[in-house]
Amino acid sequence: MSTTAGRGALVSGGSTTAVGAAGLVLGLSSIFGGGVHLRIGWLLPLVGVRFDVDPLGGLLIALTGAVAVVVGVYAVGYARHEHWSVLTLVLLPTFVAAMILVPAAGTVTTFLLCWELMAAASLALVLADHRRAAVRSAGIVYAVMTQLGFVAILVALVVLSAAGGADDFATLATRGGAVASGTRTAVFLLTVIGFGSKAGLLPLHAWLPRAHPEAPSPVSALMSASMVTMGIYGIIRIDLQILGPGPTWWGLTLMAVGAMSAVFGVLQASVATDLKRLLAYSTTENMGLVTVALGAAALLSASGAPTIAAIAITAALVHLVGHAAFKALGFLAAGSVLASSGLRDLDRLGGLVRSMPVTTAMFGISALGASGLPLGAGFVGEWLLLQSLIHAPTQGDPMVALAMPLAVGAVALTTGVGIATMVKAFGVGFLARPRSTQAADAHEMSRGMAVGMGLAAASAAVLAVAPGVLGPVVQRVLAVLPAVGGDTAGPHLGAMLRLPGIPGSMSPGVIAVALVLAVIVAVGLGRWGRSRRPAPADVPLWACGADELSPRMQYTATSYAEPLQRVFDDVLRPDTDIEVSHFAESRYLIAKVTYRNRVEDPIERGLYAPVVRAVGAVAERVRRAHNGSVHLYLAYGALGLLVVLLVVR
Amino acid sequence: MTWIGAIRRAGRIVEPAPSAPSDRMAPPAGVTGSLQLRHVDCGSCNGCEIEIAGAFSAVYDAERFGARLVASPRHADGILATGVVTRNMHDPLLNTLAAVPQPRVVIAVGDCAVDGGVFRDGYGVVGSVADVVPVDVEVPGCPPTPAQIVAALRSVTGR
Repeated sequence: MSTTAGRGALVSGGSTTAVGAAGLVLGLSSIFGGGVHLRIGWLLPLVGVRFDVDPLGGLLIALTGAVAVVVGVYAVGYARHEHWSVLTLVLLPTFVAAMILVPAAGTVTTFLLCWELMAAASLALVLADHRRAAVRSAGIVYAVMTQLGFVAILVALVVLSAAGGADDFATLATRGGAVASGTRTAVFLLTVIGFGSKAGLLPLHAWLPRAHPEAPSPVSALMSASMVTMGIYGIIRIDLQILGPGPTWWGLTLMAVGAMSAVFGVLQASVATDLKRLLAYSTTENMGLVTVALGAAALLSASGAPTIAAIAITAALVHLVGHAAFKALGFLAAGSVLASSGLRDLDRLGGLVRSMPVTTAMFGISALGASGLPLGAGFVGEWLLLQSLIHAPTQGDPMVALAMPLAVGAVALTTGVGIATMVKAFGVGFLARPRSTQAADAHEMSRGMAVGMGLAAASAAVLAVAPGVLGPVVQRVLAVLPAVGGDTAGPHLGAMLRLPGIPGSMSPGVIAVALVLAVIVAVGLGRWGRSRRPAPADVPLWACGADELSPRMQYTATSYAEPLQRVFDDVLRPDTDIEVSHFAESRYLIAKVTYRNRVEDPIERGLYAPVVRAVGAVAERVRRAHNGSVHLYLAYGALGLLVVLLVVR
Repeated sequence: MTWIGAIRRAGRIVEPAPSAPSDRMAPPAGVTGSLQLRHVDCGSCNGCEIEIAGAFSAVYDAERFGARLVASPRHADGILATGVVTRNMHDPLLNTLAAVPQPRVVIAVGDCAVDGGVFRDGYGVVGSVADVVPVDVEVPGCPPTPAQIVAALRSVTGR
């Protein structure tokens, strides 16, 4: 049994890595070589399947491929440990292949085919552990929302290709500007809804914090690092490249949706106690930031500042890549913790730094990236975004003058709360003392999983210290996005980041060198000072007079986030109960105090619940027509035929 | 500005400083003129606590002579112990003393702390403070007056 499972895991992980490597090669070659074109006429009736890979698609393919290489290496050990079923083992490389095909699609029909393949594969992977009720419920939410999103995309793309009179994206891009403005608006709104739901943007994010935690961790990593970026890809491809440049309000809409997603996502992440749910909300936050950048690019190019728009679109691309690196790493590290201890609940974790030092270091690198601090993989993207927002020329447009400072505020709030969130995830989850026996018994997982995480950590570190490696890639991608300032010089991403027309410049490499020097100096001074002082004495910890500190006295994730929850009470709407039970003898003698605190998603409660109730009510009405009588159904059939005959008479 | 008015109306209420006590102990090494104290209630009736509060109030103002109460034994040069040592407070007293950096002083305030006082033979009583830890300064009285407490503190601070 175990050798069969081991072989299956090896084949599945190996083929995932192989597909990923092929994707990486394909992506890079289509960025730097010419485009890749492939046409398979027999695969779909009438239209056939056509793949055209341009630099924008190539970037997404290379990104997905890189994530898949890492996840494949990791999945060998993980699948063996978790005894994945054959279906799950087969679906993992299939999902990766589908994700690689989505940005490669050259026509609307091919795109829709690949998109649905990706959605179905990911849904089946979410349901891998379908014996748990939470997984089934998450699967239903994910299935419904992804299919509703698909309907929106389907309608939008069909309308677009009918209006443009072509099926392939290349032709549509040349005719996009000529489409009637009402059609363009409808397509824009539908694609923002459809792709926004895939990217986890507000208010269609609800599937994300449910499906990502319940999916197996390598799948969570793939979904969060790669699949959600396909939503962003769709927005760039359809709204910015084919339909763009659009009117001012398109950019404003994208910025508003992005800013709300970023702030809401990070606030929910800050109060989340489930490690994977926290990471999932952080994905909503980061996709929100990317969408703010896309919106700023659209707005600035519409208001006549293409140079700054190019900086904003660069910020979006750089942040997309950085997010993929640190979020894949974060989910893989969380998966190691989950596989080793069976825990996702931060309130019961802790002390992993001693028992799982490698995983702790990996999660630390991921958390540094997610907090957007210098030397983290998320820093460069956020810095570019802030530069483009702060230096945006208003050109006398009051909307730009109003939107940019508000966006700066939203990004600043997001980053600030994001740091607190990641400090919580890392400090409470990995440092301190173990809060449960499972956490105390945790141990480092197999070497393959460590190698997978190490690859992700290395790429995150390279992106953080030397973002210049992305310079040539971004330049090629910008060249195919003329609608958002891609025809300008664009920012210079080298050892020193230089922005055209803006005095700002920054070099993460220099920051890294300065930090290393500062650490060496500080450690040296500390050593020197210690040699001059008397030897330190060992004394017991001060526990306010009690005999020893217990892990129960530590800060938990809930208590750490309590002040934030209090400040953002109006947005988070926490549900807090205090129950005091007394002894029968007297009301003054308290037997037990129960404190319960639950933070639900207020959007889910306020927006989704009424819709679900309404659908349920309508379904109840419709059910009356289905009473199970065969005679009645035959009557329906006859009636239907009659109506058809009358209509086509 | 009512609080400024209140300050002006109250004026200076502090007692004039009596002359420094003649019998003073050698202050702990490194402490010159300033003494940070952590107060430990080992099982007091709270009479001594009220007098200590008086000693550090605006009227007796022990802080002008360099003594000060602090919140953590890690910040302290010594402890100010009141009451008989009860069974429940025996270990916390030892833990608190262990948390005070050396060299340190132990000041026993009140008759109970000095020799057990009226609670000496109680069933829950371990003994006086001196029975448990070495005591450097004793302040007799049930309770001692704030002036006596201030004088004892000045004998340590030397001011």
